[in-house]
Amino acid sequence: MTPQVGLSVVCPLLPGHLDQVRALLNDIGARPADNEVLPFGRASGVHFGRLLVLDEATDLGGRPLPAQLLLMADLDGTLDAGLAGLVEAGGAGLDALLGHCEDYPADASAASRLAFLRARSIASDAFYTNTIGRTVGQVRDEARLRDEIEAHLDGCPELRALPPREIRDAIREHVRTRPDLAWATEPAVERDLGWRLRRLVWLGALPLLVLVVAVALLPLTLAALAAFVIVLRLHELRDPVTRDRPAPEHLLELAAIEDHGPQNQFSAVGFVKPGLFRRYTARLVLFLTDYGARHLFAHANLAGVKTIHFARWVALDGRRRMIFASSYDGSVESYMDDFIDKVWWGLNATFSNGMGYPRTDFLLFHGSRDELTFKHFLRAHQVPTQVWYSAYDRLTCLNVERNARVREGLHGSMGAAEAARWLALL
Amino acid sequence: MTASAPELADVQGVVTFGYRDLGLARLALLRAGDPARFRAWLAALAPQVTTAEANPTSTAVNVALTPSGLRRLGVADDVMATFSDEFLAGMTTEHRRLVLGDVDESAPERWAWGGPSDPAPDALLMLYALDRAGRNALVEAQSAASRAHDLTEVWAMDTVDLGRREHFGFRDGISQPAIEGVQRSPRPDDVVKAGEFLLGYRNEYGQITDRPLVPADRDPGGALPADAAGSGLRDLGRNGTYLVLRQLAQDVPGFWRFAERATLDPEGQPDEAARERLGARMVGRWRSGAPLALAPEADDPALAEANDFRYGAAGGRCPIGAHVRRANPRDSLDPRPGSDASVAVGRRHRLIRRGRPYGSPNGSDERGLLFMCVCASIARQFEFIQHTWINSPKFDGLYDDGDPLLAPHRPSGGTFTVQAEPFRWRYQGLPRFVTVRGGAYLFLPGLRALRYLAG
Repeated sequence: MTPQVGLSVVCPLLPGHLDQVRALLNDIGARPADNEVLPFGRASGVHFGRLLVLDEATDLGGRPLPAQLLLMADLDGTLDAGLAGLVEAGGAGLDALLGHCEDYPADASAASRLAFLRARSIASDAFYTNTIGRTVGQVRDEARLRDEIEAHLDGCPELRALPPREIRDAIREHVRTRPDLAWATEPAVERDLGWRLRRLVWLGALPLLVLVVAVALLPLTLAALAAFVIVLRLHELRDPVTRDRPAPEHLLELAAIEDHGPQNQFSAVGFVKPGLFRRYTARLVLFLTDYGARHLFAHANLAGVKTIHFARWVALDGRRRMIFASSYDGSVESYMDDFIDKVWWGLNATFSNGMGYPRTDFLLFHGSRDELTFKHFLRAHQVPTQVWYSAYDRLTCLNVERNARVREGLHGSMGAAEAARWLALL
Repeated sequence: MTASAPELADVQGVVTFGYRDLGLARLALLRAGDPARFRAWLAALAPQVTTAEANPTSTAVNVALTPSGLRRLGVADDVMATFSDEFLAGMTTEHRRLVLGDVDESAPERWAWGGPSDPAPDALLMLYALDRAGRNALVEAQSAASRAHDLTEVWAMDTVDLGRREHFGFRDGISQPAIEGVQRSPRPDDVVKAGEFLLGYRNEYGQITDRPLVPADRDPGGALPADAAGSGLRDLGRNGTYLVLRQLAQDVPGFWRFAERATLDPEGQPDEAARERLGARMVGRWRSGAPLALAPEADDPALAEANDFRYGAAGGRCPIGAHVRRANPRDSLDPRPGSDASVAVGRRHRLIRRGRPYGSPNGSDERGLLFMCVCASIARQFEFIQHTWINSPKFDGLYDDGDPLLAPHRPSGGTFTVQAEPFRWRYQGLPRFVTVRGGAYLFLPGLRALRYLAG
């Protein structure tokens, strides 16, 4: 099974280069798949890619932060291979962009470009993949397969007279005889023994171990928990809440790059609340978020939300700031509503360590339910994703998942009821 | 911060009543001249405005304002900024065209009114009467009053009475939410918090929706109620709401021509029953109003008003892409199709519809629907429904099926899928049957706010 990884590269810009970079990103953003600088579409295994800049800023302690360029990509396979693929696709064209960054070598070579980016790459604190193991190639192939099967059904109305199993057989026969669809006769993902064992450890053994230790040290566990809750509550009662509405010009800038297709992007940056308590709470919560994303919500459903392709949380500026970046289906309004209606607890736990978030109760509660304060907070912290690439921009997560089930249904034998259910996927 | 019942004497009647007995209406957009005379017009109009206390039996008058109208009435910039972003930015911004599907033939540049180069109206006057004579008298009196106050009419349209049908021939206006504390509904699913339709009250999140607020020193007479959230400001929004107006031209022959050609019998001859069935499947109800969910195979006039149904966890017998199902998916969507949890999420996206048909049902003149709806959040209610449910080709797991009646399909035409056994029917090449001819976002003030604005 090919895993997915999140590449995040953060490069401080040379002073005074922000405007040039912004102009360049606008050009790239018009043709993200195929441009002279970083053609995401020419590298293999890139699901989504993005480039954006963060303005110069001042942190909560009054210290200056430089303008920074961020490169992010959701990749198949390993980080090293994925980064190498991007560097190869961009080639010398990358210099036009990276030359605006601090410490970029004057006579860059393929090797030095790779080394430069690798040295500035940061691991995600938490990374969510809609369905772990599903590659770009698989997504695209299965979309084509589904289109072909649908067209075949349209062209063969006589199939309607047959019972479901025979219709399925006819479709399988059609797929088998098409050389360009021959791959579909094999199942997609081999879930090998190693995968099963790892899953057993992560989902069974590890939580069990934590539980045993916690129970063995019960007085200590309870004391720690009580102390945590008391300190948390003190913070919650006095942390400031931002109620400002985002500026109309800011909303216009964001809206200009939204809703051009069924998918959208989201990038938001904010300061972590000051103090060690919030800093470590954020790390703990994001550790648990990452665990949940990898082991509990690894297939097409994030606690009731089925519209997020990829998402990540990455710490910036020595953990003083965090960026949240995602690719999702539908409008930002429906995305934010999903945050409020379906995964409010997760949003509260992660985002409430950010400065100005609507007040939570005991980390999980209230917070995002303060609908408009929450929506204003998200929009105000959102930054324009100037370059955004999608390898399958006409497909929603639900489409991708259904296509995979159509392909899975081509294998093995089915009873009449099962065949009827499979046909209902079409 | 009490969850008080809405003050009906302060709410305009069109929020709570469809004025069904008043069969004829006229909607007029007015542009003000001199601001002082504009205020005087509003002051003279206020006592005539129909409130939500009692359903009128002979005539009704309601009035709404645009951002331009509010500014001309003297609302200062800092107060204007407390109205919602959608209302202030208007219906025709670049991004909103994508959200609403107002592109190609429906692009605002091609609108008959309300487009970027058309004069910005200040007020919408809504007049309702029992019959033609009543309407003529009402229109005459109101026109005289507006002329006398230096207002000019930039657009006006009379509605027609099709006996609760819309022009495609289907019964309309069956499903409406009920405002909690004001209206009753036999369906608990349809009872929605007052704050979803009126500003100043708690909504489905238990929150008071953003609303226009005025510093206390700008309301020295205390004309406005205090902000229920306890901010110390005066609430210009309370008992008011937002109103969306759109003129939707319907291609009635085109619709039925498509349904006929898509259902020709094996000899290539029209099949009337199949044509009717396809039309009903696109709508989600039969001509009588009977829902496909309850009457999947043939019309059943006994179910004409039937509304007490859900689609169920299994998806039910109404096509997923049918118009009424997209406009109000009931229990169909995530988090758990078929459950109260899904109904609860849907309750945050409801509209009170107040549209009326216009244009003669015979002949070749333009006809359609003057769509009008009431909601406290244009973004979360009207725009969400229009974008995420109506226009989205990806609605509820579909691939390329925009709303069969309303969506702006791709140039090659849209797709409509009817889930069926042993496998789906797929209709392709749907043209656009509905074209937008104009539209505006308006603020429908409460009565106290009207008097405050009138000075």
